[in-house]
Amino acid sequence: MFRVENETQVHDMARGAVFLGGGGGGDPRIAALCLVDQLRQGKRPQVIDAASLDDDAFVLPIAGVGAPTVGDEYLLSMRTLKRLLEECQKFYGRRIDALISAEIGGFNSIMPLAAAAAADLPVVDGDGSGRAVPHIEMTTFSIYGCRATPAVVTDDAGNVAHIFAVNDRAAEEIIRATCVGMGSSVVGVFYPMTGRQAKETAVLGSLSQTLDIGRRIRTARERQANPTEDLVDYLNTPSKQRFARLLFAGRIVDVARETRDGWHWAQVLLSRAAGGEPEFSLEIQNEILVARQNGRIVATVPDIITVVDSESAEPLPAEWLTYGQRVHIVGYSADPKVRRPEAVAVIGPRAFGFDFDFVPVELPT
Amino acid sequence: MSGHVQPGGAPIILGVDVGGTNTDAVLMQGREVIASVKRGTTFDVGEGMFAAVEAVLQAAGLAPQSVASTMIGTTQFINAFVQRRGLAAVAAVRVSAPMGDGVPPFAAWPQDLIDVVGEQGYFVQGGAYFDGRIYAPLDPAELGRVAEDIRRKGIRSVAVSACFAPVRPEMERDAAQMIRAAYPDADITLSAEVGGLGLVDRENAAIMNASLRPMARDVVAALVDSLHRAGVSSPVHFSQNDGTLVSAEFAGRFPIVTCSAGPTNSLRGAAYLTGLDDALVLDIGGTTTDLGFLVRGFPRTSLLPRNIGGVRTNFHMPDILSIAVGGGTLVRETSAGLALGPGSVGFELPTRALVFGGSELTATDIAVCAGQAQIGDPSKVRDLRPSLVDGALDLIHGRIEDAIDQMKTNNKPVPVILVGGGSILLGRPLRGTLEVHRPKFAEVANAVGAAIAMTSGKVDRLFDYSGGRDAALTQAKNEAIKVAEDAGADPATIKVVEVAELPMAHMRTNLVRVRVRAVGELTGIGC
Repeated sequence: MFRVENETQVHDMARGAVFLGGGGGGDPRIAALCLVDQLRQGKRPQVIDAASLDDDAFVLPIAGVGAPTVGDEYLLSMRTLKRLLEECQKFYGRRIDALISAEIGGFNSIMPLAAAAAADLPVVDGDGSGRAVPHIEMTTFSIYGCRATPAVVTDDAGNVAHIFAVNDRAAEEIIRATCVGMGSSVVGVFYPMTGRQAKETAVLGSLSQTLDIGRRIRTARERQANPTEDLVDYLNTPSKQRFARLLFAGRIVDVARETRDGWHWAQVLLSRAAGGEPEFSLEIQNEILVARQNGRIVATVPDIITVVDSESAEPLPAEWLTYGQRVHIVGYSADPKVRRPEAVAVIGPRAFGFDFDFVPVELPT
Repeated sequence: MSGHVQPGGAPIILGVDVGGTNTDAVLMQGREVIASVKRGTTFDVGEGMFAAVEAVLQAAGLAPQSVASTMIGTTQFINAFVQRRGLAAVAAVRVSAPMGDGVPPFAAWPQDLIDVVGEQGYFVQGGAYFDGRIYAPLDPAELGRVAEDIRRKGIRSVAVSACFAPVRPEMERDAAQMIRAAYPDADITLSAEVGGLGLVDRENAAIMNASLRPMARDVVAALVDSLHRAGVSSPVHFSQNDGTLVSAEFAGRFPIVTCSAGPTNSLRGAAYLTGLDDALVLDIGGTTTDLGFLVRGFPRTSLLPRNIGGVRTNFHMPDILSIAVGGGTLVRETSAGLALGPGSVGFELPTRALVFGGSELTATDIAVCAGQAQIGDPSKVRDLRPSLVDGALDLIHGRIEDAIDQMKTNNKPVPVILVGGGSILLGRPLRGTLEVHRPKFAEVANAVGAAIAMTSGKVDRLFDYSGGRDAALTQAKNEAIKVAEDAGADPATIKVVEVAELPMAHMRTNLVRVRVRAVGELTGIGC
């Protein structure tokens, strides 16, 4: 358990959230600015361990859904977040005990803390994926039986949609369509759950992990240590079934992008030395899905593949990758909950249309 | 330095760079630098300007009346903002309710800046969706009350920012009118006048501009006045961030658009002196090497957000890469092998380097020992081991070659322009480059860059691709060309120099953010 007390923590968490986003998840900056403002107003949102929840506690995952370009103009409204939570209390007919992040990678890591500050609620140290995922049915909440609906979605104008879907795949489609109808950027509450469900279905400890990762990178820079090496050493903890590897160090020699059906697709090629032949590649659909060396797969979803700046280890969102950048590619095994066969079936390579199985990051040598 | 004036030739242009330390002036005729001088910048910037202008006219043997046009580049405003000097208190009026109250104006601004500028923010009703539909109308009574409150607090500088103002700019204009109705003396900057998409960054730029404006008006007036005192009565223009021109009046109203004119002018000046339009410019100083890329005569701009004085903005700043290699960079032998920097003796090079009788082995000493330059006392470095010198040269060239490679957008070799005193560090051919140019007058490249500036027009908003990409791009280009014409560009010379398309992820829509820049020569100048 800890409280978010200062701006350095917020920036560390944002940095860690981008790292865990594996190239996707959206820039947490607007949410971080919102949280910093709450801190300046004296709020100190509390992060609690899932273990401290009563089994019958009422826990709500809260998230923003929409286009980042739009969100950068609409920003966030505390009034809207408060109204959403009041609306939920009425709709579900229960007092809310805690909030939780739906995905820890990117924007939706920090946003629940801002909402928690507004409503004086604690946030559970965990989330529904331990990374960023592009679809509602790809969270561990959904995979382990906590349905995304009934859900509540609202916009700043005050429109509210209650969504009942036959399954989470349908929920995804309906929520996206609702989002467009509401101006293309909304906030919502999904996967209403009990304390017991939170303990069973969430990836635990991931919110404090954003803080640890962000702080680790910052302090390594301050110590003038090699921040990527330091981070990989820190994350590589076989005793906890977590593995981290530096997959590649080199420079980006090609970035091919397109937007297909609202998704950002890209292929990135890297070479070891200037003028060298490309020998490493990344395939991206919002998040980085596959990493290959000389054609051989070295990492895939659901493991986290992140690009960091080679000097500063600053994690880079996929849309910022450009020719000539010197980068390190870090592979970090997903939480064990995300690597079970039933989870891999939903967020492994085949779920994204690839014709091969999950390759755990610790296996290739 | 001086060259020769061609009587009856191209018009004479006076270019002045008013930097933090030096005020440089050049007189140009066509492509020729006729004369150049360097003078110290004075506390009252007009004095330094006056001295430089008098001196350069004298060096060229020209009467002040012969100057056809004057172009000024200055870092005064950006320096003032970074040093929190002469800034006015600002009231920020955000037209976005019911959206965006979670991130108020001044969010995450550094405290020392808030101490000066204040953090007086207001939220009022209004704003547009991404597709331009208005989600809330303006309320004249509400804006009247806000204006009254600002007036009562004694704040004159006001920044107005509205949600999706780049798509619906009239929302901010109407709000400003309603504020002026209640407070006619309000000095208002609109966010869409100074920035593109991204409300926080655009609003930050508007607040910065509002805060700088009173001082900027004074500085611009002082500079123009010093020209008049020197007898120069030509039209006066200022360089803005992208290397194009605005009027003196505009620079006084929008100082923020000049904030990165320094590096831009330096890059463009260097390129101009070599006659190259596409090249990599390496400015090797005492502590760092700054690399910039010229594309069709203009600096490539960075897509990444930039902090200015601790505040994030979304200006298109030149994409400059700085690495810690310069004339004063320390060379050390360590257990792990030879190390180059990042430490540097910096401005103390003339006393601390071996060749100047000091005790530190610097990159300059290596260059002298290798015979790449004759400065100081070469006997002081005669005994350096050849393997050490070779190894250090490998590191210097390798570091710079890596940086060159990082700046390139593909594998094709590029021409390189070397400026700055540290260019002696390079004595070998550079990998990934074509020929290396070392232009004359490189030391006043900033002023040359100001003198050759053109005028421009920009557009940055969402375009609907349902009617086809080509039609949308044509419309975007035509809009940018129109803005350039309105800014005084000669229509015959206008060309589109930048087209960037940024698709909207996570949205099933035909809207694409398009950024286009068109430039042309100022009507009546043509060289």
